[in-house]
Amino acid sequence: MNAKAYFGQYGGQYVSESLMNVLDEIDNEFEKAIRDEEFLKEYHYYLKEYVGRETPLYLAENLSKKYGTKIYLKREDLNHTGAHKINNVIGQILLAKRMGKTKIIAETGAGQHGVATATGCALFGMECTVYMGSEDVKRQALNVMRMEMLGAEVVSVESGSNTLKDATNEAIRTWAKRAEDTFYIIGSAIGPYPYPKMVKEFQSCISREAKKQHFEKEGKLPDVVMACVGGGSNSIGMFADFIDEKDVELIGVEAAGKGIDTNEHAASMARGRIGVLHGTRSYLLQDEDGNIQLAHSISAGLDYPGVGPEHAYLKDTGRAKYVPITDEEAMSALMELTREEGIIPAIESAHAMAYAIKKAKEMDANQSMIICLSGRGDKDVNTISDYLDGKGYLN
Amino acid sequence: MNRIEKQLNECKENNEKAFITYLTAGLGGMDATKKIIKAQEGITDVLELGIPFSDPIADGPVIQEASFDAINEGASLRKTFELMKELRSEGCEQAILFMMYYNTILNVGLDEFAKRCKECGVDGLIVPDLPFEEQEDLQEALDRYDATILIQLVAPISADRIPEILKNARGFVYCVSTMGVTGGDAQFHSKVIDYLSNVKSHSKIPVMMGFGIREAKDVEPMKDIIDGAIVGSHFIKLLRKADYDPNAAKEYVSTFRREMNA
Repeated sequence: MNAKAYFGQYGGQYVSESLMNVLDEIDNEFEKAIRDEEFLKEYHYYLKEYVGRETPLYLAENLSKKYGTKIYLKREDLNHTGAHKINNVIGQILLAKRMGKTKIIAETGAGQHGVATATGCALFGMECTVYMGSEDVKRQALNVMRMEMLGAEVVSVESGSNTLKDATNEAIRTWAKRAEDTFYIIGSAIGPYPYPKMVKEFQSCISREAKKQHFEKEGKLPDVVMACVGGGSNSIGMFADFIDEKDVELIGVEAAGKGIDTNEHAASMARGRIGVLHGTRSYLLQDEDGNIQLAHSISAGLDYPGVGPEHAYLKDTGRAKYVPITDEEAMSALMELTREEGIIPAIESAHAMAYAIKKAKEMDANQSMIICLSGRGDKDVNTISDYLDGKGYLN
Repeated sequence: MNRIEKQLNECKENNEKAFITYLTAGLGGMDATKKIIKAQEGITDVLELGIPFSDPIADGPVIQEASFDAINEGASLRKTFELMKELRSEGCEQAILFMMYYNTILNVGLDEFAKRCKECGVDGLIVPDLPFEEQEDLQEALDRYDATILIQLVAPISADRIPEILKNARGFVYCVSTMGVTGGDAQFHSKVIDYLSNVKSHSKIPVMMGFGIREAKDVEPMKDIIDGAIVGSHFIKLLRKADYDPNAAKEYVSTFRREMNA
């Protein structure tokens, strides 16, 4: 066992032999890059000038007044391409460039990571292929068009359940074939080591900024930090700089779909068992034979049957708490944020918002919380409109 | 002695190349699987039974589809263990191994799994998503029961990893002929000969090649290096076409093995 690949008993490198040398090469180069001032300078240059960082830490005035505690929103929705995904893409694409790779592949569910990757590839002149389940291709036609406009090839994956899980399988298969000249940009805090570590590093700008901004405004650390968790990229970025601050309560919000006591949810923390998928060992939704179960959430970005290994570790050690929020609760919070603050959040981020409202009721006026608003809701207007019309949703 | 090692030793003594087939357990029903196993007894040297899994990341389209269909037809590890037990109680001494993904093993629990393997006469395991670095726990469990061996895989870019992987390897070494997944049309890696020669030079046990092989002539160019061939996707395609007729299986394996040894 390669101890550095693990967070407690979670993580590891459960991939075919063909990829082991490749992972080793990526890890070595990554460790060099993040100690190389030129690399960091370039990364931070693009985060500032291209992505638009730093993003504001906004005090949600009306909600704070309504619930009697300070509610801060970390505005990742204001990033270029509309979500936090681009932070990691810029980092990994610069690493790919440094390694001399000219071709990029990525998986995508809702299309946000796919769009961010296609965007980065357009900027840096890389050949880009995005794997997307055929169901998601239908559901997210607009994002497919954006990726194609950006010059990416979108491969519609017809296998298994035809969603993110299967798109990831296909991306891994293609990578195993083409690893000699192709870099795989994983968007979630999942995958074999060193991916969870890399994604955390490239998303940690979220908490680094938020911590500093909160100090500037309040002169202290926040009491609570909260983010939604699918695979766990925005949440690990939001937690990163607070993990060692033991007085800060960390809360991850996972998607309970139609309820964790139904068969339609994506609550791998509440209802999963330990297993191995997509190269990593973590909590997974699986049936009695050990086959992976389909996840369900109204939010395509949280619709994943597993969770990043570091989150599993944070849960077991009690450092972070993970709570479920249903589709209905998330949609109601989405509308509340929209009406109270004039911010339409992504449905993913609305899950964190929903729990924030519950949590705020336990807090007082001297306390404060930070919620990661991981993305904006423009991509979700069709889903929102179907939901409000009572048509349910395709999911 | 382990049946796989015994059979491959015999091949070596007779100066013959060994032949291995792969079949997804329960594809076309468990009865079909049993008949196809029996039809190959005494011809195919080692049989691989694939335990179907929902997310087979090391497999190409043919085995993916076979896995998916088998699950829908009710196949499972539990039923495959039962089939093995039945075969062994009927006196079947064919060397048989399971090819399966690690999650299916974890789901049972390592100790319980190793115990069941022994009880049911499973001679070996191939776990494509369990590279050398991650094998310790499973190997420990298998050692406790001392019946089932873990087969090592190597790939065209394994390079400096090869000596370490082969150090304690048993049975045979599975050389993946190409980068990527199972299946394909004999489009082997561009440096396949150098790679196989390198593995052969480090290996004390038979070197078998798999991925993308259809007929004996596909392995003609590397015949002097390898100790045998493994056919999976092509075998499944052929069986599907023949509606799982055991005679079709028998004819194919007899021909392949004869031609490879001609």
